[in-house]
Amino acid sequence: MSAFTPEQVKVLEAWTKEYPYPVMGLIEALRQVQDWHRCVTDADEEYLAKLFSLPRTRIHEVATFFPAFTQRPTGRHRIGVCQGLSCSLAGAEHACRCLEKKLGVRAGETTPDGRFSFERMECLGACDQGPALIVNDELKGAATEELIEKLTEELR
Amino acid sequence: MTKKVTFTLDGKALEAREGQTVLEAATDAGIMIPHYCWHRSLGNPGNCRMCLVEVEGTPKPQVSCRLPAREGLVVKSLSPAAKRAQTSALELHLVDHPLDCPVCDQSGECGLQDYYMGIGRYVSVLREDKAHAKKRQVLGPHIVLDQERCILCTRCTRFVAQISKSHELGIFGRGHNEAVDLVPGRTLDNPYSGNLADICPVGALTDRDFRFQVRVWYLDETESICPGCSRGCPISAHTSTQRPWHNKGRRLARLKPRVLDWLCDEGRYGFSDFDSDRLGRLTAPLSEVRSALQTHRDDLAVVASGSLSNEDWKAFKSLFVDKLKVKRFLFTPEPDQVGSEDELLRRREKVPNLEGGRALGFGTEIKSLTWESLGQDIAGGRVRSLYVVDRDPAKVLGEKLLHKLELLIYQGPRMGKTGGLARYRLPATDWLEENGHFTNFQGKIQEYRQALKPLGDARPDWKIFADLEAGL
Amino acid sequence: MNPLSQKSRPDPILTKDFDEPRLQELETYRRLGGYEGLKKALASGREKLMAEIGKSNLRGLGGAGFATAMKWSTVPSEEKNPGPRFVVVNCDESEPGCFKDRVLVTKNPHQLIEGLLIAAYAIDARHAFIFIRGEYEVQYKILEKALAEAKAAGLLGACSIELMRGAGAYISGLDTALLETMEGKKAWPRQPPPFPTVAGLMGRPTVVNNVETLSMLPHIVENGGDWFAKLGTPKSGGTVLFSVSGHVEKPGVYEFPMGVPLREILAAAGGVKGGKKLKAVIPGGVSTPVLTADELDTVMDFEGPRAKGSFLGAGGVIVLDETTDMVMVAHNIERFLTHESCGQCTPCRQGSFWHERILARGLEGGGTAQDLATLERVGENITGKVICALGDTVGVVTRALMKKFPEDFKAKFHD
Repeated sequence: MSAFTPEQVKVLEAWTKEYPYPVMGLIEALRQVQDWHRCVTDADEEYLAKLFSLPRTRIHEVATFFPAFTQRPTGRHRIGVCQGLSCSLAGAEHACRCLEKKLGVRAGETTPDGRFSFERMECLGACDQGPALIVNDELKGAATEELIEKLTEELR
Repeated sequence: MTKKVTFTLDGKALEAREGQTVLEAATDAGIMIPHYCWHRSLGNPGNCRMCLVEVEGTPKPQVSCRLPAREGLVVKSLSPAAKRAQTSALELHLVDHPLDCPVCDQSGECGLQDYYMGIGRYVSVLREDKAHAKKRQVLGPHIVLDQERCILCTRCTRFVAQISKSHELGIFGRGHNEAVDLVPGRTLDNPYSGNLADICPVGALTDRDFRFQVRVWYLDETESICPGCSRGCPISAHTSTQRPWHNKGRRLARLKPRVLDWLCDEGRYGFSDFDSDRLGRLTAPLSEVRSALQTHRDDLAVVASGSLSNEDWKAFKSLFVDKLKVKRFLFTPEPDQVGSEDELLRRREKVPNLEGGRALGFGTEIKSLTWESLGQDIAGGRVRSLYVVDRDPAKVLGEKLLHKLELLIYQGPRMGKTGGLARYRLPATDWLEENGHFTNFQGKIQEYRQALKPLGDARPDWKIFADLEAGL
Repeated sequence: MNPLSQKSRPDPILTKDFDEPRLQELETYRRLGGYEGLKKALASGREKLMAEIGKSNLRGLGGAGFATAMKWSTVPSEEKNPGPRFVVVNCDESEPGCFKDRVLVTKNPHQLIEGLLIAAYAIDARHAFIFIRGEYEVQYKILEKALAEAKAAGLLGACSIELMRGAGAYISGLDTALLETMEGKKAWPRQPPPFPTVAGLMGRPTVVNNVETLSMLPHIVENGGDWFAKLGTPKSGGTVLFSVSGHVEKPGVYEFPMGVPLREILAAAGGVKGGKKLKAVIPGGVSTPVLTADELDTVMDFEGPRAKGSFLGAGGVIVLDETTDMVMVAHNIERFLTHESCGQCTPCRQGSFWHERILARGLEGGGTAQDLATLERVGENITGKVICALGDTVGVVTRALMKKFPEDFKAKFHD
């Protein structure tokens, strides 16, 4: 049984036709699955292998190589704090400790209610706004205590 | 004709095909440049960085596995700069490699050990704890994985992608967290899985059958031919006789491909019971067998095996066709000697040398009974005596039917069910205990050599046939 | 004050309209003369266009500094290699210290699209792709909208431009690894030859250019190659964007002519934060060796930093004040490289991790004098012996830091 709804199947199938060669849609399809399931499961990989006519090995290699994909579910909101040099100089470590305290989880973990997961991430391309904080691929700005407070209150 | 070029390696002029890599050309010329990832049949990903050499006119060392030989190229693989590059690559391979050589099956034939003794010999300055990963992971029926020993040369993943095309293994994760592993839910059970232990240059993938049995330096090596099917793959038989208490007392330790790169699992693991169920003593004088044969020559059927050598077939023909004028023969393989085949190596006919028999007319001019018709002939009393060479009709036709026979002679290396029923048992040598030739399905005649002493009273089949004939 | 405002300096090119509100929109962009360069390029013909780009001395601004016209000229002709050819925009900016591409796309997406169309025309590509890192979701949407506008306005002509997102790996920003990613594989760099211009995406001739490089094209076409070349130094034409971060008053993107002294960049960014003394500057992102406070006169073009043992890189200037512990800096950088090493070749995979572990032990107080010799030796054994540019970087910055700030290291590594 497919782990996807008929609408989702259509979206995934569209990624096989988006680019001149079907395989070029694989990373985007995986991003899509990660977004829906908050991880890429074995069944998801099997499905994509069939969809893209690729060995399952290839899908699993890609899914375990790129940090955007996880094998276990993340929280609904993936909060990442940049650990790059500029962000470190700007106080990334302090921001991480604030988040850990606020969320009650450590880096790489998810809150029990499944709302948040917290990751230490490598450079987010926002060295001018360090320590950069990102939620689900969207840059939110410098991880000040106020921003952390605001985000953890607002995001459900 | 491919164009030839001449290049210089360490002051020696070498010839290469145009476009051939320096590493391959050097290997062809018998010169060893250290390498892990390159394998003649699996490509040159250039990831192990061991085969670095100095190239005149190039500032950086180059990997010789990706360096095309060209006219006038001057390469140094032994210069201080090249040696340093190789040694440093080796040092980095060993950073997280466990120091478990004393319990590692690869010891004695390990690329890491060989190169350390050859070009390494540095004093370790490592002060960090070694990284840990999965140990003793059973991948399938034949192979066990130790991720900590793996140097990620990708030979195994390339093998399952390109050769067996079964894709069970991948390199998952990234950077220093990556590891060779099974795709979740899969088992390494392709028909060629045993080759992974051969191509793994370190002790990451080892053979379950061979695991902890013998140290490789106690093994003897003999050139042989695999008797597992009509392909007749050249193999090396590794036997253990120096320390009989090793390998659970079994003399055959393992088989390795020779000449060709690969060997199928059926061949590789099909003979681990070589020493079991063997016939020991001759149970009656040959003269008694002779007179029994003469009495029964008119109602005699002969069941012969496709594992006879060409030499055996000749003596067989002389005895049964020319001398005894036997009419009823059966050469058809037993039902379980017909199996699956593929485009790589495996053939349907799971015996090595029916072809050698065919060349003498067996199964062609001299027709073969079927197992069914032989059964009917015995049941109908047309066949009252049976001479069986290394076959097990009791297994195929049932013991009950064989009880109807007035005479059952069994000749072969192993007892089987039929041996147990026979009035006369003539112990014969098996392929590792004799010299001989097999003719493979393509008509290629190949020699195999004696690796082990015959057990008990066993003698080559041809000798038994000849001795019987001589007294008739 | 908007740190991006360049009005006080002569000849900003890419950032000149950054103060313009709604610059992201096609209407604004065209009002300011946008897409005129494309029109001119199409009218002038391929040969003339290539000649102008050649004259301009434009060099790849993603870090490698390869002459753009030279790269394009290695694409085989249609007769020699019939079939599709591609242009790929590398917008996978991920190196600590670099964020100019983000700003370029955010502020002026059409400038990039116009440049991309010019490049596509130059090599006769009918398909173009913008590969953007997944974490630039905002910029992805900006580009999506801009592309739709350009398409609706008929500006794309016979060329299709498609967007594709990465999945969080720094190595995807290396051209051949980027192509592997696009092909739905893990981003293990290829080992040229063949180079991507000969066999790139799906084995087809492919030009991979950085956002900044392509954004320059409309201006070069409009004003001529000579004009652009004269702005810079003899070997590096035009201007260049510097992403300035770290201990400065006004972090941001600053545009300068090639050859600007490092000192001026630092001044433009308001100097060292809080009036502290400068200790060092990383000139081009964390893959480039550090320059000391005494080396502020370094001329910033592709040649200047080289003379000091460093690189212009992608212009990611990271300013380090007197309080900075260089062992921490080295550890941060090696940790980054360890995390981002793709794992394909052994020296990088193992060497980066070894570096990280030694430096971490030093930070925790367990360093010995022997460790410094080990770092020195192992680092030298990695550089130049690996598959790609990331691997070549492992240990390089650490060695420069050890050489230039020995006292920081001696404080953490002693017997």
